[in-house]
Amino acid sequence: MSSAQIEIQLIASMVAIACAIPGTFLVLRKMALISDAISHSILPGLVLGFFITHNLNSPLLIIMAAITGVITVVLVEFIQKTKLVKEDTAIGLVFPVLFSIGVILIAKNANDVHLDIDAVLLGELAFAPFDRFLVDGLDLGPKSLWVIGTVLLITIGLLLAFFKELKISTFDAGLATTLGFSPIIIHYGLMSVASVTIVGSFDAVGAILVVALMIAPAATAYLLTDNLKKMLVLSVLFGVFSAIAGYWLAHGLDASISGSMTTVLGILFLLVYLFAPKKGLISVLYRNKQQQIEVSLLTFLLHLNNHQEIKERHINHLNEHINWQRVKSKSVVDLALKNNMITIEKDIISLTKKGKNFTDKAIDYIITNDHSKIESIKDDFFLFRG
Amino acid sequence: MLGSFAVLRKQSLLGDAISHAALPGIAIAFLITGTKETNVLLIGALISGLLGAFWIRGITKRTHLKSDTALGLILSIFFGFGMLLLTYIQKQPDANQSGLDKFLFGQAGTLLARDVWFMAIVTAICLVVLLLFWKEFKILLFDADYAKTLGFNTGLIDILITSFIVIAIVLGLQTVGVVLMSAMLLAPAAAARQWTNSLGVMVILAAFFGAIAGVVGTGISASQNNLSTGPVIVLVAAVFVGFSFIFSPSRGLLFKQIRFIQNRKDLELHKTLAFMFEIVKGHENISHPHAVKILNNFQGYTRKSLGKLEQKEYINVEGAMWSMTAKGYHFAANLYNQQANENE
Repeated sequence: MSSAQIEIQLIASMVAIACAIPGTFLVLRKMALISDAISHSILPGLVLGFFITHNLNSPLLIIMAAITGVITVVLVEFIQKTKLVKEDTAIGLVFPVLFSIGVILIAKNANDVHLDIDAVLLGELAFAPFDRFLVDGLDLGPKSLWVIGTVLLITIGLLLAFFKELKISTFDAGLATTLGFSPIIIHYGLMSVASVTIVGSFDAVGAILVVALMIAPAATAYLLTDNLKKMLVLSVLFGVFSAIAGYWLAHGLDASISGSMTTVLGILFLLVYLFAPKKGLISVLYRNKQQQIEVSLLTFLLHLNNHQEIKERHINHLNEHINWQRVKSKSVVDLALKNNMITIEKDIISLTKKGKNFTDKAIDYIITNDHSKIESIKDDFFLFRG
Repeated sequence: MLGSFAVLRKQSLLGDAISHAALPGIAIAFLITGTKETNVLLIGALISGLLGAFWIRGITKRTHLKSDTALGLILSIFFGFGMLLLTYIQKQPDANQSGLDKFLFGQAGTLLARDVWFMAIVTAICLVVLLLFWKEFKILLFDADYAKTLGFNTGLIDILITSFIVIAIVLGLQTVGVVLMSAMLLAPAAAARQWTNSLGVMVILAAFFGAIAGVVGTGISASQNNLSTGPVIVLVAAVFVGFSFIFSPSRGLLFKQIRFIQNRKDLELHKTLAFMFEIVKGHENISHPHAVKILNNFQGYTRKSLGKLEQKEYINVEGAMWSMTAKGYHFAANLYNQQANENE
């Protein structure tokens, strides 16, 4: 590995960490799309900053861009407060407008400069090491490494300092207010951090990847855990993993680094989405199926309980009466047999003592909706755990 | 037009997500066929757009992730994957690959007559389907459970709407580009929403606003150098939205503010009248004149409000004295009752 490669991976990982932290809170606060909006609408800020300084490397550009990011948030909130449209519509209206202004500004006034929409939106990590940070001719490493390092330090510092406040205001804004924190200040603080992070990262990795790095690791982690601290750690891990794996994928395919990092994130999410132990698609489907069978079983037992006549309890009769397919009724009967809830004598089904007991409890539960009644059945069945 | 449904279904940003999600489809279609035939690329875009849309639905339905997360996730991941493919294509040896990124930012100027015909036909088909399923769409939109109990196949209708939104977006991509597509979808609908509460009127209005924004925007961009069409159209549409927000008669900010001030003035008048009523109540003759002075220590009384009350014939003012008319007495008494009723 050459030093440039190490630097690229280092920058990518730091960007990933810096994005994952605010991203987690954005996902939890249901404001994930704000990051998308900010990443687009910083364009006019960048352009204005460029007009003022005529220097693409000036820090003023970043400050202007961050300010536009915050303005976006304020505008969205304002439109939303008028209650004329919903929040997502407000977001969808604000950022294309700001972006259009940016595009037109560039087209009208900056045609001859190297300020390209593609470069802003897509970014190119591969060139990052060539943009060195020089102090008195001394090479201190790539510039974006310094920019993103600073952003990262600020983010982590703020996170540690305000972790408790953030946590409370995210999950219970009302409680936060009564405790004397202002949710509004925290809200705008978070938004400013997100805005600064996006601006700091995007010239290395591009606007779209910033969004992916913010949302995808947090969403993936959220499928795996409910614990905020674990979620933060997991999303940071996912971010770093995708940064490094993405770099090598891009290296292999000779394609865009930011694109392949996003792709790795996508694959990660897909895997977790399918296979996560509790919230993954497969386990959810399995649980749904399980619950369906249990409901059927309960219906079946209740039916038996209601009918003492032999005719009603004949095994073939059940098919018609409860309107089940043959396969389904067979699986339900098997399940009941396995649990010793019924016995079958000459095709006549009757409840065992255990089955009777179970049914009574279930009826009790259905009538009173009192959870204490079913504590003992809970172990056997999914149904009552939900 | 279809934007109306998106706005009302709180899926406004679906447009944004799908327009980004279409990118890998374009790239893959190019990789497989090797042509730059617009229709082939559009089909690719359509397929990946649909895939994105249904994955979003799957995520929100099956997991506890919220729709905003799902949208942002699909948007960025698909787009990133598309970028990966595009850069991969660019490194390929055949020379035929440039111009794919035209889809990103769109350029209405590059459209061929054939493309326009194609778009017109698809738009017509959308219209026909919309009219055919109007009732179903409407019920599903406002009361999905009711639609289900009526025996409509809600899943199917839902898929139908989503597919049409995707088709509209993919077609529009060529004109305004990925980033601005969501504004094209939303802005006319959001503007139209301010003027009406009826779905039918809203859809027509939205189509109308969209068309005007398109024409005016193209006009402006053609009249000046260096102005790309997409952003100008979006800005024009945004002006419509801003105008609607402020000036719409029933929901607009301006009229809301006016109503607010009106209400406050009315309240002040009523307060003054109620105070007068308290004084008058003690006298047998309601028209017995009182000095204006005694109102002085009552808040909310001004010479102007007195004049207004006189205009409404609730009181008579003669010099420094005022007296209540029968009409005013009646009104004030009822005012009092009304308040009492509301308190109960």
